[in-house]
Order: sequence, then structure tokens, then C-alpha cells
Amino acid sequence: MTTLESTTMSPPSNSPRTRQPGVAGKKLVLQGINWFMPAATLGLMVYFSLATKSFLTGGNLLAVLTQNGPTFIVAVVAAVLLMAGFVDLSVGSTLALAGVCSGLTFLSSGLIPGLLVGIAVGTAIGAINGLLIGWLELSPLVVTLGMLAATRGVAQYLAPDSLYGFPSDVNILGNGSIFGVSYLGLAALLVIGAALLTMNRLPVGRKIIAIGVNARASYLVGIPVKRLSVLLYVVVGLAAGIAGVLQVARLDSAPSGTLGVGFEVTVLTAVLLGGVPFNGGRGSVLRVVLGVWLIAILKNGLTLLNLGPEIAGIVTGSVLVLAAGLEAIRFWVQRSK
Amino acid sequence: MPRDVLDQEKSVTFGLMLSGIRKSYGANHVLRGIDMNIPAGTVHALLGANGAGKSTLLGCLSGATSPDDGEIVIGGRPYRGLTPTQAFEAGCAIIYQHFQLIASLSVADNIFLGQERRTVLGAIDTRRQEREAQSILESLDVEISPKSLVGSLSVGEQQIVEIARALRRKPDLLILDEPTAALGPHEVTALIRLVRRLATTQGLTVIYVTHLLNEVLQVADAVTVLRDGRVHWTRDRLDLEMKDLVDSISPGSSLTGRASDCEPGAPMLQLEALQCSFTGPLTTTVHANEIVGLFGLLGSGRTNLLESLAGVRRSVGGGVSLSRTSPASTRSKSLRAGISLVASDRKEQSLFGSMTAEENVLLPHYHQLSRGFRSRGRERAAFLETAGRIRLSPMSPGNPADSFLGGNAQKLVVGRWAGELGDTSVLLLDEPTQGVDIGSRHEIYDLLREFVSGPERCVIFASSEPEEILALATRVFVLVDGVPREIAPEDITENYLLSAAQGSSGEAEGTSK
Repeated sequence: MTTLESTTMSPPSNSPRTRQPGVAGKKLVLQGINWFMPAATLGLMVYFSLATKSFLTGGNLLAVLTQNGPTFIVAVVAAVLLMAGFVDLSVGSTLALAGVCSGLTFLSSGLIPGLLVGIAVGTAIGAINGLLIGWLELSPLVVTLGMLAATRGVAQYLAPDSLYGFPSDVNILGNGSIFGVSYLGLAALLVIGAALLTMNRLPVGRKIIAIGVNARASYLVGIPVKRLSVLLYVVVGLAAGIAGVLQVARLDSAPSGTLGVGFEVTVLTAVLLGGVPFNGGRGSVLRVVLGVWLIAILKNGLTLLNLGPEIAGIVTGSVLVLAAGLEAIRFWVQRSK
Repeated sequence: MPRDVLDQEKSVTFGLMLSGIRKSYGANHVLRGIDMNIPAGTVHALLGANGAGKSTLLGCLSGATSPDDGEIVIGGRPYRGLTPTQAFEAGCAIIYQHFQLIASLSVADNIFLGQERRTVLGAIDTRRQEREAQSILESLDVEISPKSLVGSLSVGEQQIVEIARALRRKPDLLILDEPTAALGPHEVTALIRLVRRLATTQGLTVIYVTHLLNEVLQVADAVTVLRDGRVHWTRDRLDLEMKDLVDSISPGSSLTGRASDCEPGAPMLQLEALQCSFTGPLTTTVHANEIVGLFGLLGSGRTNLLESLAGVRRSVGGGVSLSRTSPASTRSKSLRAGISLVASDRKEQSLFGSMTAEENVLLPHYHQLSRGFRSRGRERAAFLETAGRIRLSPMSPGNPADSFLGGNAQKLVVGRWAGELGDTSVLLLDEPTQGVDIGSRHEIYDLLREFVSGPERCVIFASSEPEEILALATRVFVLVDGVPREIAPEDITENYLLSAAQGSSGEAEGTSK
């Protein structure tokens, strides 16, 4: 009986959380998390350089840039969109439809009309997404998922069979280069530059982030939230259009059934690897470039090592989940006082 | 001694005892040693101005925060600090000002939310929940069907559902945080009767937080006034008069300092029968250098009115015209006309938590500070100028906004418009010092007074705190159910405002006191 009484009367032990990591230690952990992605990329590059003869050559690296040009172009812009808190799952099919339309026009009217038509189609799809999501405030996931299916369907309807036999200057656009850098690579570098400039040096960059952090407060301080979000979707469509044209030109054919299939997943993976949170409000263009680059060299290096693409999938997925885990740790460390 | 007898004895003799509760956030000492003793079966009113430490103290009891020092004794058991689970197990139930109900669920579902009654198969036993909810509601003497959707109930009924939910857990300590803020006069009377009955018949210990002094006298057995994180005094209801309460809440010295000595300038803002949903019509002219206070309870339409002035909410009729420019019908138009709004609920509506202090202040002004490209130098200089003006602490441009404490976070969002940047001429503020400590409060008042002293500038603010209206406003409107009424300068007293806002005829109250 006495024991029972003493247990009921004893105060519940509530040991104060005395274990406080020092401020310096906390900083170190945060720095470590920040440097994980760059370090992983560098580590992989060093490994592939040592393991294969051909990896660390200018030719190979430029080829990686060219092959992944479409991913760079779209991922960097989609990253900016995600920073504002919006997602676009339709980029793969947008790329396909733009590519198919430009392919049809290449065949009928030549290079320049095809180029313009492809870009226009991409932009138009972006505009539809933008109006539905930015203006009418429909769900980004639902709208762009619907668009993903619908646009693929239209592309296959317009060109049931793969298109080929384009005029020869199309091939030059796709595979030509100046000073050793392919047009595709050049376009990617230009888009990256424009995104860096926008986010870091133009006033609108801060506004985009602000929308991602708190859309209501953004509206109240006078940021044109609707107009900006429509514009962002339009620019993503534009980027997917350019990527579609260049991809078709590089392949010298437009296979409506396979063009850009799974592209949206690659883009989203790269953007998330680049540290943009799924809810937006934060992010760095440079890190997203690094994210695309990591996926790109992984595929390239493993191919050079004669390993199949399934390994690339396993490694990419693991790195992504690891990055998410590190984000959780960062959040936890920042919150603990 | 058998255990249940012991427990029973405890719950009768002990209610809640606090000794030496302290809590600091950095250098900001919010609670500086609180001692309170509340016997079981009594209602204890807790008073204090914003920033006196009320919410932090409630946080310590609900488990939202834990005190740095001191002891909480509930039902005879001492605690150093509570986690939310411990608070629950210790028998604390807290009902916040903003209801935590889910409108699309039924009354019974809400009452059992998180602790659903289940059938043998694990499905929710709706019938049993409804039966038990019915009996709880009957014990409260109210006629609310357990089946009706919470969204279809009146605010007063929702408040009752909140209480029913709290009682379902059979708490020993019930904490009500401004329970009547959204209620009409009849509902207030009913609630007070209910609270009294729960305390006297069921032996519940009740802490009743409010700033409506009439209620205090009706509901409480004893009263504690907090000031600057200390217990200013605790007294028995029988030894109290209205005058004591008024004196203790708004000590003549600390908060008064009306700006009325500044002469109103030329007419600036003209409202012609402005009307928006549930609010208006309001016809008045606001002059330069004026600070207009809108006093009203939660749901009285003060926010609607400010939002329609800011072009956030569409007005139904009438119009706004500014001496300088055209009417403001949309947010961007009104911003261009120089009308800025600092909305209430800083976290949801005005602060960009993860962005830096500098970004928070400069966000509306980046275009103005850039020549095509942004200039980091100009931006930093502009931020430091504003930060100095608002006396930001710590003065670190790169710290994220949510690392600043209430007062300084609020200074960031007020400073955004009240600084030299931008072109704000009409500054609208909704609850400008919600969750702001007393020191920062004065600094924000000074900031606003300085702002209106410039040419072609005026401030319109809404507040539910009479002391804030008294401290800051040069003209006052009281809003009751969306209808604004101007108060003559000589009538602007705390009592008059409170009774006018409750909807009772203010004049009768005013003269009788």
C-alpha cells in the first residue's frame, strides 16, 4: 500500500532537456548538410575520373551537357516555378507535343517555321496551365497531371508514327556547335544565366520567393500574385517548347510515343535534389543546376563503366531520399534551441 | 488509505497552485515569478494588457511551452513543466479564442475528435457517440442536436460545443481564453451562467481570461491582474469594485499619452456611405495627421472595414476617395494610391517567416530601390535606415523574420510601410500590437505617431483593446454588428467603449458610472 501511495504522490519526472548542442556544433551540422550535394557530385566526378579513362575529357563533359540540355533548360525554369510554390507535371508531354508540332512543320515548311511553331505550342500549353492554376486557382497537381495525359494524346493523334526525314539544316540546329559547344548546350547555358539573373539580381526574384513563403501576405504587400504565377507557368511552357524543338532536332526524328516520356520525373527529381522544397519559398538556381548535373554524370559515368541504367535509377533515388532525410535533420537542428 | 479516497480528497482541496513560474525568451523576461493559488470549484479571472504574460502563462499550463523555473501543482501533483500530453493527463483543458472545431463534421464527431468511440470492428460508433454527446449537452442545459453540423451552428453554440468537448475528458481545470470575444450579449449571459454552474456543482477549477471587466465581476470568485510578467494583485471578488479593475488594467501613467494634441490637417480620405458585406455604411472624412481608432469585438466587422478600405475586400456600396488620387477598388490600385494595410494575424498574413528581416522590410520596395538590377548597397542602406527608425533588436538584416520575438516581428511589418520607403499616405492596421510585449508596444505607438506627423498622412487602426484605443486614437468609432458609430471625444473612456461595443446603449452605462 505504501508503495502504491508513493507512486501516486511522486511527481512525474520531467527531466529538463539539458542536452544542448553548442552553437558551433549546430553551425557545423548545418554547413555539412549544405555541402552534402556539392560534395556528393564532386565525389562522383572524382570516382568516375579515376575509374574510367574517358570520363574527364572535354568532349565527354560537353556531350553530357548536350544530351541533358533539355533537362537543364526545363529544370532550371521549373525550379523557379516551384520556388513560388507551384509544380508542373506536364513538362514531358508539353515537350513531346511541341516537338511533334515542330517536326510536322519542319517537314512542311522548313527550319524556322518549325522552330517558331514548337516554341508557340509550348508557350500556349504553359498559358493554359497558368490561367487554370494561377488565375482560377485550380490545383496545380490535378491540372498539370491532366495536361500530361491530354497533351501526350494530342501529340500521338497528330503524328501516330515517328516523324523523320527533316531538312538538313534541322540536323545542324540539333547537332551543330560553335567553339565546341553545341547549340543545345549553349541554349541551356543561356537559360541558366537568365534564371540566375532573375532570381539574384532582379526585384522580381524576391517576389517569386515571397509568393512561395506566404501567398496571402504577398498579395497584401502588393505583389501581383496571380499575374506572376500565370507568367511563371507560361515561361515553363516556353522552356519545354524550346527543349522539345531542340530535342527533335538533335534526334532528327519526332517519335510521338516516346519523346519526353518520364521527362517530368527527371526534372522534378533534379529540382528537389537541388534543394527546392516541394512547398516552395526557398531555393537556389545554382544548386538545381548541380542537381541536374549529378543525375547527368551518374548516367554517363555508369554507362562508361558498362553498368546498366537500373543502377543509375537506384543511385539517383537513394540520393534523393538521403537529401530529404538531411532536410529533416536540418529542420530539426534549426528548431532545437 | 484507499487510493480513490485520496484522489477525491485531493481534487476537492487542491485546485491549481503556481509558485515562482518564470519564463524568458532571450533577454525578454515574459514571466518573472508568478504565484497563484486557485481552490477547486472556483472561477478565477485573469486580467492583464497584451504583453503582460497571460498567453505565456496559459502556454505553461497547456503544455505549449514549459517554464524555465517554478512549480505547477495540479490536483495535488507538482510538475516542473508540462508537455501537452501531461497537461491532458493532469486534467487541464484549455479552450482558445479561436475555436478548434471542424465545421464539416457533426457536433458529436467534434466532441469525440481524436478519441472516437469504436465498435467491435473498429469503425466509429456513431450512435454511441451521439448518445454520449447528447448527455453531455443535456448536462450543460443546452438544446443542440449532436447530429447537426458544427458549421451550421451560431458562434455561441460553437463555443458551447468547445466546452462540451473539453468536459468530455472530465478535466479538473478548465481554462477559457477570451471565451466571449465573438459572442452576442445574450450568449455571454448564458455562458457566464454555465461557467458558474460548472464550478459550483461539478467542482471544476476555472481560469477565465478576458479583458471585459463587466464579465469579470459577474463570473469570478477571485481576480488576478498580471502586469509585466508579475502578479500585480490578487483579490477576492467581494472586495472588488469596477473602479479597481479599471485602474489596474490601464494604469493612468503607462499607456496614456494621446496624440490628440496634434491638430488635424486638410481632409485626406473621404468615405461616402462605404459598405461591404455585413459592415457599414460609414460616411466620414479622415484628415491628415489623424489617427482613427475602430473599436469592436471579434466579428464586429472591423477587419472587413479595413480590408475594403485597402481594396482587399470588394465593397458593396458607397465609395472611398482620396484627396490625391482616384478611388481604390482593388489591392494594387489602392497600394498605388498609397493605402497600405498591416493585417492582423502576423504569421498568416503579413510576415514572411523564412525570409530575412531585410527582405521583410524591403519586399514592397525592391523596384523603387533598383535601377533595373538590384543594388545590394542601396538595399542595405534603406534597411538600416528603417531598422534604426523602428529600433529593431537584434539589428541583424540577415536573420530570418520568424527568429524575431513578437514585438520585433511586428515592428518589421509596421516598419515596412511606416518608414521613409515607399509612398504610404494612409496606413491601415488591424490589431497593431497583437502578441507584442509592452516595451515594443510603446515603440510601435511612437512610430505611428511619428508617421502621422508628416504631411498628408493618416492612420486608421482597429483594436479590441480599449487601452490601445485610449493610448493612440485621436478619433474613435465603435463597431457593433458591422455598424460603425463615432464616439464623442469626451466619452472616450474604457468603460464607455466596452459597454458600447457589447451593444448595450453606451450612454446609459456611461452616465450611471
